[in-house]
Amino acid sequence: MEPEVVNSEMLLPQNFSFKKVQMGDKYPKGHARGRHWKHLKQILQAENFQSYPTDEPNYLNIETPPSMYPSKKFCDITGFEAPYMDPRTNLRYANPEVFKRVRMLPNEHIQRYLSLRNAAVILR
Amino acid sequence: MPSLATRPERQTDYRRFSPAIPIIIDNGGFNFRIGWAGESDPRITFRNLVYRPRHKATGETVTIVGDHDPVLLKYFDCTRSSYRSAFDSNVVYQFEIMEYVLDYGFDRLGVEDSPVDHPILMTECICNPISSRSKMAELLFETYGVPSLAFGVDAAFAYKFNQQHGICSEDGLAICSGFATSHVIPFVEGEPVLEACCRTNVGGYHVTDYLKQLLSLNYPYHISSITWEKAEELKLEHCYVAYDYAAELQLFQKGTKEAEEKTRCWQLPWIPPSQEDAPSEEELARKAALKEKQGQRLRDIAAAKKFTRISELEHKLHGLEDLVQQLDEVEDEEMYSILSVTDYNSKQEIESAVHRVTQSLRKARGEPCESEEKVDASLSEKYPLISIPDDMLTPEQLKEKKKQIFLKTTSEGRLRAKQKKFKEELLREKQNQEDEEKRLENPELYLEQTRVKYRELCERVDQRKRLKTNGNGNSSGGVGRGERLNSVQKERMRLLTTAAFDRGKGEDTFGARDEDWQLYKLMSRDNDDDDDSLDEDETELSRVTTRLQEIDPEFVAKSDLAALQGTLEFTRLRPLTAEDFKINLGIERFRCPEILFQPSMVGVDQAGLDEMTGVSLRRLSSKDDAVKNRMCNSIVVLGGSSLFPGLDSRLEAGIRQIRPYLSPLKVVRSLNPVLDAWRGAAAYATSMQFSTQTFSIQDYYEKGESGLKQYQIKYSL
Repeated sequence: MEPEVVNSEMLLPQNFSFKKVQMGDKYPKGHARGRHWKHLKQILQAENFQSYPTDEPNYLNIETPPSMYPSKKFCDITGFEAPYMDPRTNLRYANPEVFKRVRMLPNEHIQRYLSLRNAAVILR
Repeated sequence: MPSLATRPERQTDYRRFSPAIPIIIDNGGFNFRIGWAGESDPRITFRNLVYRPRHKATGETVTIVGDHDPVLLKYFDCTRSSYRSAFDSNVVYQFEIMEYVLDYGFDRLGVEDSPVDHPILMTECICNPISSRSKMAELLFETYGVPSLAFGVDAAFAYKFNQQHGICSEDGLAICSGFATSHVIPFVEGEPVLEACCRTNVGGYHVTDYLKQLLSLNYPYHISSITWEKAEELKLEHCYVAYDYAAELQLFQKGTKEAEEKTRCWQLPWIPPSQEDAPSEEELARKAALKEKQGQRLRDIAAAKKFTRISELEHKLHGLEDLVQQLDEVEDEEMYSILSVTDYNSKQEIESAVHRVTQSLRKARGEPCESEEKVDASLSEKYPLISIPDDMLTPEQLKEKKKQIFLKTTSEGRLRAKQKKFKEELLREKQNQEDEEKRLENPELYLEQTRVKYRELCERVDQRKRLKTNGNGNSSGGVGRGERLNSVQKERMRLLTTAAFDRGKGEDTFGARDEDWQLYKLMSRDNDDDDDSLDEDETELSRVTTRLQEIDPEFVAKSDLAALQGTLEFTRLRPLTAEDFKINLGIERFRCPEILFQPSMVGVDQAGLDEMTGVSLRRLSSKDDAVKNRMCNSIVVLGGSSLFPGLDSRLEAGIRQIRPYLSPLKVVRSLNPVLDAWRGAAAYATSMQFSTQTFSIQDYYEKGESGLKQYQIKYSL
């Protein structure tokens, strides 16, 4: 191990004196390190919040509902107000100059602009 | 992800603290803070990230927690690993990573031999799912041997801290904008009302990410310079929340002076291509001499080669001539024996070989070859059978004759093509000369004429292109809705449908006659009649373009212009200037934090910060207006992502729209939005009753997970 790396104390030591079980023993090397920890979605599914009384707060209860106001539409490229939408690409644009640019975008950029808005079509 | 912050030092005073003193941990999505209760600041703070690269030399996988010096990463293979966080949104789910983080935190705090013998107060998110809480408890109890635990909400601790310092009162609202989420929590009589709080899944991370994506899309050339860390820096330095979003947009759309002032410019490092000074006389002379020498050398080599080739050919020629002579002198019978020794089958072959060799010899020597007459003679020689009419020949000879006719026509065709090309060349030369003359006599007029010609040609080519694709530039080539077919396409459609039409039980006789297959030719898209004329126009256009580029100083080809005006993709036609390396942050400055107020801008279908307060107030069970008024009189803004300038005034304006007219409203920032959570927790842990609020290891062994489920701390002690 290079001396400057050791000096900087950058690396985490393998064993600690204050731990009852060391990392190396808990997660032996051979096994898939991915460990398949449940993601949040799975945790929430497993919790099964429907079975709890509904007036008790739980992780899903306290989510904010959608906004009351209709969402304002902004141009995907420039950010100004966008009263128009291109039917072919579904991008919003503010004025004809921006429209020219929209039509000249390569497909990859179109998808990325749309995914900013979470509006990209994901093909599975 | 981490930046160049210095790594925390290992604390050395662990022994000073008695086992009664709790350790306070603020387990945040962005930063992990750990310290002792009763102190004013956390001892150790680092980024809550783990990186596990492989060491290049030894191949072992090492663990790096928190910030580190990027320079030292060169010893590690960073391609396969990425920064991992224990969090998914604001819930801890990866406990292996959590363990690494806790290891590092305890180690830096100076924990030594004994198991961690202090009570621990840890922050978690609101309504943490039980599985996450129990896994955390399991980790702390079983791996670290902690005697007792307490979990609390970070925003609540921060609010209590501010309350103790008089910023806010007992009844109030805490608006906490964190790294991955934002919350609004009402407080009644000092306790948070968890039923009425609400959470939107937009936080500081999303703001930075939005900024990064926007900049990368607007400046695709610099995509590698716009990293997440850089975007974070830019956000911290330049972003602000607009008081009135629509008005700010108008300012920028109109391009007013104020907008100009508000636009910040980031100049990326750029080195202009070095100007080569005119090389001095010496340099020039030296370079010329060098070139001359090289040229001389090449010429010598070429001459030597030529010489060897000539001598080879001469040698061969001599040999063949000797052979011919031999054959002439000798009788017929011996001819065959001699011939069998050599490669040639008949005297004629030898003679033609001689002829060929003399030709190449002449060419090598650079003498003009008299090929014409020889060719004619050989032609008539090669095709003797053509002149003889059919009925006098045998079947094999007929086949021969067909072959010879074919050969003759092809060679004649080749000759004709050569002549035609020659004539065309002459014609073009003449045209060029005429052009030059015209230009010399009246340059202005000529320029005008060429310009006009260029424009016309451009238009024609464009129009034809448009007709052909029918405005189908970007789409996959199929005809979409609402696009008209021109006559050619209509005809083709008609053919396709009639051909595909299933005529039912009747017999399908397509293909019986040869003419049927012509249908495919008609259907084929490649068979456009327009092609030839289009090609002519295009070649003419390119000629005129080059001509104009030569003579017209202001000419910019149309296609280049379009590309330049479009996205900032650089054609290599113009040199890159310093301008191209400037990234302008205009409306992005306030567009990015706006997503906290309008999450729909990034596709999150939830209400923004100001609306969330309304939602939260509505969810409060008490209908008492007085309570709500009191609460709105003490609204505190917390959390790391609330540091944007202008956020509190915008919040105030937003909430005022929701509340009844002239009801009391006061929005204040907390003392230190980032550290208050830890400080509040530290202050909480010093109180006498803290031990009553903890969950001890015995409880854990007795009640286990269900005990944790009921566990809820009281914040006012």
